[in-house]
Amino acid sequence: MIEILQTGIHTSIQDIGRHHFKHFGVPVSGALDQSAYLIANSLLNNSPKAAVLECCIKGPKLKFHDDFYICLTGAEMNARLNDKILKNYKPYFVKKEDVLSFGIAKSGCRTYLGISGGIKTEKVLGSRSQYKNITSSDKISKNTIIPIGKSNFKPAVGTRVKEQKINYANKKIEVYKGPEFKYLGKDQQNLIEKKIFQISSLNNRMAYQLKEKFTHSLPQIWTSPVIPGTVQCTPDGSLIILMRDSQITGGYPRLLQLTESSIQLISQKTTNSEIRFQILPKII
Amino acid sequence: MIDLFKFKISALNTKTILLEWRKEPSDALLEHIIKFKSLIEKDFQVERCVTGYKSLLIEIKNKIKSLTYWEEYLKKLQKKNKPIIKGDHWKIPVCYDLKYAPDLLNLSKEINLDKSEVIKLHLSALYRVYFLGFLPGFLYLGGLDNRLYLRRKKKPLLKVPKGAVAIGGMQTGIYPNISPGGWHLIGNTPVNLFNPKKNPPCFAKPGDWISFEQIDSHTYTKIESEQQNGNYQLNKYD
Repeated sequence: MIEILQTGIHTSIQDIGRHHFKHFGVPVSGALDQSAYLIANSLLNNSPKAAVLECCIKGPKLKFHDDFYICLTGAEMNARLNDKILKNYKPYFVKKEDVLSFGIAKSGCRTYLGISGGIKTEKVLGSRSQYKNITSSDKISKNTIIPIGKSNFKPAVGTRVKEQKINYANKKIEVYKGPEFKYLGKDQQNLIEKKIFQISSLNNRMAYQLKEKFTHSLPQIWTSPVIPGTVQCTPDGSLIILMRDSQITGGYPRLLQLTESSIQLISQKTTNSEIRFQILPKII
Repeated sequence: MIDLFKFKISALNTKTILLEWRKEPSDALLEHIIKFKSLIEKDFQVERCVTGYKSLLIEIKNKIKSLTYWEEYLKKLQKKNKPIIKGDHWKIPVCYDLKYAPDLLNLSKEINLDKSEVIKLHLSALYRVYFLGFLPGFLYLGGLDNRLYLRRKKKPLLKVPKGAVAIGGMQTGIYPNISPGGWHLIGNTPVNLFNPKKNPPCFAKPGDWISFEQIDSHTYTKIESEQQNGNYQLNKYD
């Protein structure tokens, strides 16, 4: 078990997601940076679906009530085990009573804490990912105890994947043309790639809204399915990038669609980060 | 009839196919899409489908190799014999008392109908469940009497109460949980539309029928407590 001493800014339990209830209007949820999430589990020999803690901007402070191995991936967040500085992408042994604390994210904004055996809170609709009105809360709370599964994991000497060479400051966001892209005029089609956009303060697990308006005359559409990474365009020209907690259908035109790796990259960005869309020539 | 078979295929990303129909939404198209979905989901290459008013999203297990392959395959599959869609009929109790209906007076003023007339029209229609979306358990319903159409509020309410029965544009719906929303609130139901502890988490599915039945605030409270104790059973009709 682990005990939450301080919660951090928005720390939540996440896994691979809740995929089987979309037709009931249930969002996918799950770790936003799925790549960092999967690596944390694989370095601990956990199941690829094991639940982890997703820490955003400032991580929690927690105490271990048993011996485990842990592994941090994603953003650098000044993690310390008691007083020892921890590196990302490397399994560490932690003992009962050890305290893990985090600072503020230096590069990127989401860090994943994998624990050998995985977090074993109750599954709701096939997943442990926290989401309001599905699980009892949408984030972890202070003074709670989180159950952890069993594991026989012992790392081979020197296990550490080469630091993932992902440059979180990279502005380039690769996208495909969305279903309604074709209704834009030629000038607007060119502009969307030239313009530098800034992420507004309205960014969370549900969606990232961009600051700059994009004027258009796109037609209204009948509500239709959307997926994580869909870029919607509202009538007043706001661009909204849907993330994994987003609704599963939407009524705004779908201008662009982020690639899987761009969803991971943007989930490491926060307020005021600049991005520039690059349209890939074709999907298949 | 043959129009139903005409869809446009595109890829959303490397593992997601989107089918869109040119036709305007209708009961015939809805039934066609529901049946088509059930056939597609039997295919071993398909993970799952999600539907909209006139669209069908197909998530496949591996990367799409050729969209032409899928187009031809789906066009053939579409013509197969399909099951008959009957759909269940649910009667949802709604209290239209003003304490549950903060926007009822304003809406009746805006559309120039007496309050009782609004309630009567809302009660007399039989609604069809098109699909679920927006929030877990939110039903997109078709069949609202056109005399009740009213464009959404300019400024959405930040906290629409759970169970609110509302009108927005050409649609009516029920908020399954507290949420922001721009529709006009004309009543409230004590019935729980979404329960994550149950499988399925929502009683209604696309193709089902919904009608509303008026209750007073006393009955509202009674159903509310019965539901909390797990003794409430929503009636299904044939």
